[in-house]
Amino acid sequence: MSGSLPSRWLGALPPVALLLAWQGAASIGWGDPRLLPPPGSVLVTAWARLADPGLATALGVSLGRCLAGFALGAALGLGFGLLCGLSGAAARLVGPSFHALKNVAVFAWIPLIALWFGMGEEARLAFIAVAVVTPVALNVWEGIAGTPPLLLEVGAAFRFSSWQRLFRIRLPAALPSILTGLQLGLIHAWLATIGAEYFLAKGTGLGGLLIEGRDRFDMALLILGVVLLGGIGMLLNQALWRLAVRLTPWRTTPA
Amino acid sequence: MSDFALSLPVSTAPRPWRFPAWSTALLLPALGLVLWLAAARFGWLAPNMLPAPQDVWLTLQDLASSGELAQHALWSMGRVAQGFTTGAGLGLVLGIGMGLWPRFEALLRPSFLAIVQVPVIGWVPLLMLPLGIGETLEIVIVAKAALVPVTLNTRDAIHALPRPLLEVAATFRYGRLQLLRRVVLPATVPPVFTGVRYGLTSCWKALVAVELLASSEGLGYLLVWGRQMFQMDLVIAGVLLIAAIGLIFDTALAAIERRLQRWRPA
Amino acid sequence: MSAALSARGVVRRFQLDRREVVALAGIDLDVAAGEFIAILGASGCGKSTLLRLFAGLDAPDGGEVMHRGERITGPSLARGIVFQEHRLFPWLTVRQNVAAALLNAPGPASEKALTVQALIHLVGLHGFEEAWPHQLSGGMAQRAAIARGLANRPDVLLLDEPFGALDALTRARLQQELRRIWQRERTTTLLVTHDVDEALLLGQRVVVMTPRPGRIACILVLPPDLPRDHANADFARLRTQVLGILDAADPAQASLRTLIPETAA
Repeated sequence: MSGSLPSRWLGALPPVALLLAWQGAASIGWGDPRLLPPPGSVLVTAWARLADPGLATALGVSLGRCLAGFALGAALGLGFGLLCGLSGAAARLVGPSFHALKNVAVFAWIPLIALWFGMGEEARLAFIAVAVVTPVALNVWEGIAGTPPLLLEVGAAFRFSSWQRLFRIRLPAALPSILTGLQLGLIHAWLATIGAEYFLAKGTGLGGLLIEGRDRFDMALLILGVVLLGGIGMLLNQALWRLAVRLTPWRTTPA
Repeated sequence: MSDFALSLPVSTAPRPWRFPAWSTALLLPALGLVLWLAAARFGWLAPNMLPAPQDVWLTLQDLASSGELAQHALWSMGRVAQGFTTGAGLGLVLGIGMGLWPRFEALLRPSFLAIVQVPVIGWVPLLMLPLGIGETLEIVIVAKAALVPVTLNTRDAIHALPRPLLEVAATFRYGRLQLLRRVVLPATVPPVFTGVRYGLTSCWKALVAVELLASSEGLGYLLVWGRQMFQMDLVIAGVLLIAAIGLIFDTALAAIERRLQRWRPA
Repeated sequence: MSAALSARGVVRRFQLDRREVVALAGIDLDVAAGEFIAILGASGCGKSTLLRLFAGLDAPDGGEVMHRGERITGPSLARGIVFQEHRLFPWLTVRQNVAAALLNAPGPASEKALTVQALIHLVGLHGFEEAWPHQLSGGMAQRAAIARGLANRPDVLLLDEPFGALDALTRARLQQELRRIWQRERTTTLLVTHDVDEALLLGQRVVVMTPRPGRIACILVLPPDLPRDHANADFARLRTQVLGILDAADPAQASLRTLIPETAA
């Protein structure tokens, strides 16, 4: 049909088609207008909502919570990953338990955390930290343990001390992997933040807004919330990716 | 290469005797269990915070003998099975299409990325309005969890088909079927299967999330119920069951994956 | 002549697929100070193992290896090493890589910086000080590795097939450079190679080793006035002679080796 259309415009077709179908369905009065309001009115409500200072506050609360939980979880994950990567004994002792625990679907922790930490901020931070620990620890561990033995031997030839081996060989060699872990950890932290706001407290942050939208059948608010949720996740990811590129200038193709 | 640079020396002092791997692996869980028993026995924590292990065990037995366990597990597994087959099937088709035809990929890529970008936790409330709370919602969410990794891995596997090997096959004048059987499938099946494995694992995780949020049966709901009734033993039993099933899925698929990839260097 | 390096009855065994392989079965060797020795042999003859013992990266199962009469128990800055793979740290620039060798050397930082600069000049890498290893060609990376090996002004330079992975042109050029550097610095040099021409081109003595088990078949003392030129008749005669020794020691591979040059695999 569109043999001459350049490929970058091709990608716009499905969303545009969806939008048209939506508008069409709304204008012939298909479906409940409460559940599926016309796209135009969603846009207007969303725009009005965007100017509402309450939204900015909610976003600020969520982001702050996300970063605090991330810092906590990343610190734990780094420590744990370093321990397992550097010490074979530690890896044999705690490794299998860790691999079994990482299979627990992260949301299954919520009831336990709620019972142990209550429904307050500690519980939310604990949940975010749990979600962050796994990817960070796993990548740090693999990165450190995977240091090329050939390079370690160069260190031996130049009589590097154990500290020099750690800081000048193992850590730089593991840095790409560590950064990947942190990147994954930050995404998990963001999702866990929203999850924590769903399950562990009513009405705060972006998660609270989504719940509110669902309870009030406010499709505009929901769509706006979901777009913000995805968009902020993408921005956080981009930010860490840029940081990774800057921190590892020796790589030809940073992951 | 250096002749024997990385092989193991024989004659250095005999290796110190070491506990077998399984025993060190079980040491920590055993220690945890002992602490848990002690905590319950000596009342370090209130029972509504941490019930005794024997209570959890009894609850598990009750659940099993009353048939509730099987019932909830069947609900959950059924949803995973439906959602996973739908999502993985669609993912295979999309992945093959995107891998073979650049224009198809250009058409779907932005929409696909947008779908990927919004997590389960965002889709649930959004889809709850048009789909309502029920089976359809849960299956759609679970299907999306499988769709993403399967599509991406299938596409990448096709992109990464080793051209030099295709040329080798061409010099031996392989026919289409021979090419498919001897080169294309062996090269693509392992990475695609990796996608399938990730897909199934994330299906299970997504299911737990959606059952916690919007369901009235299934293992996730068991957690919600236990929490509302302040039955901590039920909550812990539920978490253990969810963990065990996730672990079994992942271990089984990892074993198959290793078999498929056994020709690869470790 | 006092021995810079010596090996006395050195034995080294390895476990390979549950089978014991004798990599070195009683090696005796003396290397004089300032000498350039080439150790020549097919893969599996234990020549790299011997070099790693001298480097202190590995320990013998029997006998002993010594540096200036002292038993070698571990790596030392007095013995520089260059591996077949350049093994530059990918996260350090060329300058930083050479400087990494001086991390544990005495002396003020300013002096070290001058040493590094001088070495980079010596191997012809000026202008590439700030390049990352992945930006270098194979030959340039190996030059940087040689500079790093020389950084501590080592008493002995150990070269483990340093040009094995390079293309023929680059290899020839680097061989000439290495000869020039040795003539200038007169560092005791031990070169492990499987390339007969390389051994004859660079060595004063050539130690021919044979595999299964690894031992020294013979040690050739090259005439000091031997023209180091592939086309020269004397050189060609020597090459034929050495190939003959290698073939006699390992008849199974004899015909193959003359036909197909061994590769780095």
